[in-house]
Amino acid sequence: MNPETPRRPLSAWTSLRAQWLPLITLLLYGWAFRASPGQAGEALAIAAKTFGSVALLIVAVMGLVGLTQVWISRDAVARLLGREAGFKALLLSALCGTVLIGPAYLIFPLLMSIHRQGARWAVIVTLLTAYAVKIPMIPLEIEFLGWDFSLARSLLTILFAIPCGLAVEAIMEIGQPKNS
Amino acid sequence: MNNVAFIYLTLVTGAYLLLFRRSRDKTRQSLRVAGQSLVRMAPMLAAIFGLIGLFQVFIPADLIERWLGASSSGTALLTGGLIGAIAIGPPVAAFPLAGSMLDAGAWPPAAAAFVVSWISVGVLTLPFEAEIFGLRFALSRNVIAFLTALLIGLLIGWLT
Repeated sequence: MNPETPRRPLSAWTSLRAQWLPLITLLLYGWAFRASPGQAGEALAIAAKTFGSVALLIVAVMGLVGLTQVWISRDAVARLLGREAGFKALLLSALCGTVLIGPAYLIFPLLMSIHRQGARWAVIVTLLTAYAVKIPMIPLEIEFLGWDFSLARSLLTILFAIPCGLAVEAIMEIGQPKNS
Repeated sequence: MNNVAFIYLTLVTGAYLLLFRRSRDKTRQSLRVAGQSLVRMAPMLAAIFGLIGLFQVFIPADLIERWLGASSSGTALLTGGLIGAIAIGPPVAAFPLAGSMLDAGAWPPAAAAFVVSWISVGVLTLPFEAEIFGLRFALSRNVIAFLTALLIGLLIGWLT
């Protein structure tokens, strides 16, 4: 979708990233079935039950992922966060971060291109930190961890996004001339 | 649970119907993206649910309590944060894992630190991040994100 996204170093790394957990799980089950078939079967049953309890929710979440990726244009986000310095950009980046969704390797190159257009480091990091909120995923989080936990986590993450951004920016500017 | 899922699914379906009237093509594309991400995540999700099963059957609750329980709060917090920092995967996966940790008697701040650092700290993706942003950025962002995860964990424990 985004022509600027570089494709090159991703494929091998991404597929390794994507598959390491399933591989480990398979190995563990292999071991479990040899060591104690009864318990391994029990584990498998729990796995199936847990999956059944959230299957519908997973479908809904993915539906929302599809909507955000297609309807919220990455270019528009880039435009609003570019050049425009000041606190407003930080707030906006925190906001965008909470709504954006998708794998980090898609968003890293995008953020770097925004930075090259003149966005501050703080904007980049604020967005990345707020990215952890994952508004579309919140129903799943509530399901597993409860309202209190999810609300507190989301609010705290938003609260810390801008301070984190400023802190990393300060580190980036140590020993460097202003306005690099 | 099924209420939440049902309401959510209804809302999303409603959004699709509404947007379908505005642009058929874009909505179809959304549907395609949704399907693709579902397929792409399927192995990971299967693995996660598999792990939850193993976790609940094979890891005794007292072990969790010793590692992540309230009695060893400092270590528990750090352990939770570190496990989260090394693990990568969709947040969809972190939530149920943290849930089973809590069920097994983990100290809530440790579970919270686990979730937050799972999402925002990436030890394994560090090389990629450094390649794009430079090493200084990648290191400082991840270190600060890790510390923030511990802090948020503590605050969640204190708030809830």
